[in-house]
Amino acid sequence: MSILKKLFGTLSQKPWEENQAAIDSTHSGRTFNLSNQMSAVIIIFGVSTAIFSLIFSGYLYSLPPEQDTTFILKTYLLWVNTLVLIFVTFFFNKISSDLKKNLTNKIKQNLIYVGGLSYLFLFLQLILWYQIMKSGYFVDTNTYFSSFYIFTALHGIHLLGGLFFWGKVSSRIFKLYEKDYVNEENNINALSLYWLFLFIVWIVFFSIMFIYNDAVIAWCKSLIA
Amino acid sequence: MSEEQDNNKVVYQAQSSETMGGSASPSPDMDYVRPAEIPEQDLYHGHSFITKWVFCQDAKVIGVQYFLTAVFTGIVGLILSWLMRLQLGFPEAAGFMTAEHYYQFVTMHGMIMVVYFLTALFLGGFGNYLIPLMVGARDMVFPYVNMISFWMFFIAVAVLMASFFVPGGPTGAGWTLYPPQTILEGTPGSGMGILLMLISLSLFVIGFTMGGLNYLITVLQARTRGMTLMRMPLTVWGIFTATVLAMLAFPALLVSAIMMTLDKILGTSFFMPTIIQAGEVLEYGGGSPILFQHLFWFFGHPEVYIVALPAFGIVSDLISVHSRKNIFGYRMMVWAIVGIGALSFFVWAHHMYVSGMNPWFGFFFATTTLIIAVPTAMKVYNWILTLWRGNIRLNTVMLWCLGFIVTFVNGGITGIFLGNVSVDVPLSDTYFVIAHFHMVMGIAPLMVIMGAVYHWFPLVSGKMLDEGLGKWHFWITFLGAYSIYFPMHYLGFIGVPRRYFEMYDSPYMASATGMNEFISMAAFIVGAAQFILIYNIIKTLKTGKKAGQNPWKANSLEWYTSTVPPEHGNFGERLPVVHRWPYDFSVPGAKEDFIPQTTPPSEVVHTKVEKT
Repeated sequence: MSILKKLFGTLSQKPWEENQAAIDSTHSGRTFNLSNQMSAVIIIFGVSTAIFSLIFSGYLYSLPPEQDTTFILKTYLLWVNTLVLIFVTFFFNKISSDLKKNLTNKIKQNLIYVGGLSYLFLFLQLILWYQIMKSGYFVDTNTYFSSFYIFTALHGIHLLGGLFFWGKVSSRIFKLYEKDYVNEENNINALSLYWLFLFIVWIVFFSIMFIYNDAVIAWCKSLIA
Repeated sequence: MSEEQDNNKVVYQAQSSETMGGSASPSPDMDYVRPAEIPEQDLYHGHSFITKWVFCQDAKVIGVQYFLTAVFTGIVGLILSWLMRLQLGFPEAAGFMTAEHYYQFVTMHGMIMVVYFLTALFLGGFGNYLIPLMVGARDMVFPYVNMISFWMFFIAVAVLMASFFVPGGPTGAGWTLYPPQTILEGTPGSGMGILLMLISLSLFVIGFTMGGLNYLITVLQARTRGMTLMRMPLTVWGIFTATVLAMLAFPALLVSAIMMTLDKILGTSFFMPTIIQAGEVLEYGGGSPILFQHLFWFFGHPEVYIVALPAFGIVSDLISVHSRKNIFGYRMMVWAIVGIGALSFFVWAHHMYVSGMNPWFGFFFATTTLIIAVPTAMKVYNWILTLWRGNIRLNTVMLWCLGFIVTFVNGGITGIFLGNVSVDVPLSDTYFVIAHFHMVMGIAPLMVIMGAVYHWFPLVSGKMLDEGLGKWHFWITFLGAYSIYFPMHYLGFIGVPRRYFEMYDSPYMASATGMNEFISMAAFIVGAAQFILIYNIIKTLKTGKKAGQNPWKANSLEWYTSTVPPEHGNFGERLPVVHRWPYDFSVPGAKEDFIPQTTPPSEVVHTKVEKT
């Protein structure tokens, strides 16, 4: 709401008028009180949201009714992976709040947890793929599995991108004294937001895969009946 | 605080006397400048030829790199259009061309001109060169990422061009790449050609996202002191809004390119229904070709405005500077740019009326399409009202601007025809559509590009382009373009279909033949006329007249750099401080007919800005 207010407020200004000019001349030149890194993550957030939304829309648009969509309910690994992502998000959030409170002693340790758990997530995803393929479901089996593979692959690529920057920030942190960690605050906050975003995307995917399947639809129909 | 204020004033006064020659006695309160909050940017200055001119991090060099690469692709696109026109006008002289070649040329011409030429040129070329200069920044906020962005684009172009040399040649599926025929045998380039096209598009989108990130954050977060959003030149508003559009629309292209690549190489069926090819049932099944159309046009229509909005912004600034008047209705112009940008996401299915849809769906998209004409028309009225009673300089830049207004109105009006379902259905896939979109998003933006080149060339090179050659260039292009596209409307009305290699024994053959010959001759001449500009540029660089600083007497910051052409870092030791909008032209009471954005109120105390 405040963004809309700001937008409409800005667009209502009359920059040629003397009163407005006096106000404008005191402007710092920055629109939002955000670091460049945080701004970048928010924009990437927007672009990636568009990508994932389009994939979800395509999935919902084109899924033929005759395909078996209950497979997803039969594997426990997706639940485990979700739990891993919850832990990653938790630890990243902890790093950000520790930095704010100047509790720097556990930051290195939590950074290692974040990286380790993220790699564990990717490893478990590969095992999940292996299990699914072993059950005879490949990327070209039907559009349900095609969507599943493309979504998890794109999510994994996003996570790998995040891990690249996690590696850069971590390597700097490990070379710094604790009192200088604050220099990396903008980067850590940006990365923390990025991981939160990846978690949200995962939850949305997880929900859609669970809710929009034959078993749930049949259950809903039985309720209505 | 007051000490800080005083310090800043001293700094500022020194700077403003440098730029303006310092005349009036400054009043302490009028010229208050906020202390700098944005820290100075660390810039990497290249030392060798490679780091200075090849892998360079200076946005201006990157802008020129984008510009030259885009112009190269544009020339390839132009040659392809000549070959197409040769076949259509003089088929007997084009014996070397098969139907497959023709479809490949049509496809590559379309994709090159829309994506690799116009988009790259407006956003990559003008965006990189002008954004930091116009908002008063030293460079883009992430210069390294910006450099990578260009090289991704360069690789995307190289991959696209490579498709001309692979077995089967480039794809010939039409620039919309509709499945299922795009990836099925029988369509030219359905092997490596389409794969390279899809890979190239994916690389383009990834590269553009890196650049777009820079444009947005630089505009939002790295402006100089006093530069509010509503003090930005409309050029920046146009490029900024187009970038927002691109960041939200290009993902649709990326997603569809990835999905189609998987359909092609891994046998998925995102867009492929159960299908029989040459009597054989293929393994595809369950996909939807219409889904591709939705994804493609969700990108494709905003793409029109990704090209148009920067053109709108640039032409507004050019008209204002060269008619010595403030832009009429600045706020409305900004509103219109933002409004058009938002509406452009709700009109995509007007490209799909003939694909079949629920009538209410068609009604909705026809309505939104017609609504978008309102802010667009506002812009046209405001350009005309800016010219009204202005001190118009009828130079080459202004000629291109006037040419743009007329051409854009022409193309826009035929767009209103096609926005209506009942009119679109019979005209769809005819030359009427070709004429419409070439006028509105081909020739019109091209005229702005030309105007912008003549306007900013003195800044980039420090020399003035030859006006005489410029006027020849304009008149041949302007009259020639109308000779090409006006008759095409008629061809469309009599039912001549687009994308046909030849007309065979159709009923309109007789009337189409003569007209096609005329159109082709005009196309050859207009294409050749573009080389006048290249000759002009080479001649000017060798022997051209020096431009000096600010030859057009403009107000915006790009003309107030420490050197011309600007060096890396743009503004010397101190960044400029902005005190006004960039449209203070012919202000009553002012000594000259322009007041730069850097002029503090104390230097122009007796002026009175007109209400607008």
